Amino acid sequence: MENKQPLADFYNPNVLINLGPAHPAMHGTLRVMCRINGEVIEDATCEIGYLHRAIEKLGEEKTYHQWMVYTDRLNYCSALINNIAYAMTVENVMNIKITDRCLWVRMIMMELSRIIDHLVCLAANILDAGALTCFWLLFRWREEAYTMIESACGMRLTTTYARIGGMSYDIPDDFIPRLFKFCEEFPKAMDEVDALLSGNRIWIDRTRGVGVLSREDALNYSATGVVARASGLDIDLRRDRPYMAYDQVDFDVVVGSNGDTYDRYLCRMEEMKQSVRILKQCIDKIPGGPIWVDDRRVQIPEKIDVYTKMEVLIHHFKIFMEGIDVPAGESFTFVEGANGELGFYIVSRGGPKAWRLHVKSPSLMQFQAYEKMIKGDKIADAVATLGSVNIIAGELDR
Amino acid sequence: MYNAYTENAPFLARQNAFNLRLQEKYLQGALAEGRKLVFDSIQEPVLWVRDGKDLMIVVKMLRTDDTIKVDFLSSLTAYDNKDKVDGPKRFVMVYNFYSTTTNVRVRVKLAVNLDEAVPTLTNEWAAANWLEREVWDLFGIPFAGHPNLRRIMMDERFTGHPLRKEYPIKQREPFADNIPFHLGAQPLPKSEK
Repeated sequence: MENKQPLADFYNPNVLINLGPAHPAMHGTLRVMCRINGEVIEDATCEIGYLHRAIEKLGEEKTYHQWMVYTDRLNYCSALINNIAYAMTVENVMNIKITDRCLWVRMIMMELSRIIDHLVCLAANILDAGALTCFWLLFRWREEAYTMIESACGMRLTTTYARIGGMSYDIPDDFIPRLFKFCEEFPKAMDEVDALLSGNRIWIDRTRGVGVLSREDALNYSATGVVARASGLDIDLRRDRPYMAYDQVDFDVVVGSNGDTYDRYLCRMEEMKQSVRILKQCIDKIPGGPIWVDDRRVQIPEKIDVYTKMEVLIHHFKIFMEGIDVPAGESFTFVEGANGELGFYIVSRGGPKAWRLHVKSPSLMQFQAYEKMIKGDKIADAVATLGSVNIIAGELDR
Repeated sequence: MYNAYTENAPFLARQNAFNLRLQEKYLQGALAEGRKLVFDSIQEPVLWVRDGKDLMIVVKMLRTDDTIKVDFLSSLTAYDNKDKVDGPKRFVMVYNFYSTTTNVRVRVKLAVNLDEAVPTLTNEWAAANWLEREVWDLFGIPFAGHPNLRRIMMDERFTGHPLRKEYPIKQREPFADNIPFHLGAQPLPKSEK
């Protein structure tokens, strides 16, 4: 065995190790190259683009309605937020004011999606750290939330629920009682997980001081959402630039202080409770009335009229075969997505297709900061950090 | 418009004060020649700057402005201006700045020609690094002074810039193998830590 390297090489400060891109702990096709010294990551760099599907280019080739399905494939954990944010952007370009009922339905859906996204992130993060019980406890409620969404629009993961100027269906009659039950029972499951984890010695040792992002770095790297808030950067577009009816509901913005994985965990837990709080107010305030805006340019006719009236049939045909006519103009609409600031930028030159369609994804910024976060940590900590940052490859590569 | 902030009275007042300040501070004087303030579909301000040098001046002004307090780079992208609707130049760079304290947004636009280099913002915000790489990759707009200007979404051997209008959507360029992972000009520098 003459080729055998001496043991001293193990402590060579220039060993390179490759994490990903196809590994269950990497949550999608992410690739990180680390230069390690012993077990400590001294330097790291990320490579992205494994899931690049030219979604922005397709936005220039498809009509506004056709592109709606692609928004589902951005952040597939909270597809509804993408759907609604995109519909909002097109409505902004067209100057459409949606109905009150549609507005509150959209708020309910967005908050429900936020809960789902946080649940998936937390459950996967906790699972990566080795705690399986919490995973089942949390995923039970994700299942319940998905079943509710399924009852509203017929689909679970990739919903395509929103339409420009309305929603594809109104919510069913039993949705609100079911949501009420969810709001009552879900916080109890949260308390259970909280009791299992928040004071747990192993979990604290595994997460506290791991993957630290300082407040200055959060600003410098444009981190948003939970990652920024856990670092003490007090930003939340729902409060700072209220869209929809977020200025009519009470909620607190959860801000951490240390910017480590433990703080991000605490922020996510508390943010879900705040989402439940918003949902409860939505249940009280949701008005009746039509879900579709009364605007011939975008309104998709009732199916029964399409089958019985010729003018409506022609209208329906023109909406789907030619697309809706969006006037020239542009809008960059940002919403507070589950991961952070999610923006859609549409430049319209008139006609049924966008001239330029850009998606500002929070994951891209967060993954860039991730390089910085894991320096000085162990390899196992890099996995724990990745789970807490919640990088969604679909949104990252677009 | 429910979707916009335009129905929120205190917010509207703040944004209007900001627009006024843009008019006063950024659009008057000898330096401001060639700048233009327009408003988009939801009345958000869009500030056109003259050239790359002017962009850096405006960015420095926005960062040091004590009433606007811009401190956050929200987004950085571009679009193809092949139909010449937005002036004679080929591309338009779109910067989106935000203030985490006063919560106002401003969009800054810069028209650039083919192969005209744009000054990098990586010295101001580290976040600009990947965003500028993405613009370089998809549009082919070079950035002067960027520390690591490589393709980010596409393979390094890829030819062409896919978000340009002349790039056909069905064009494919498959590669059978992976290239070894590296960091471009700087092969894993030793960290300062």
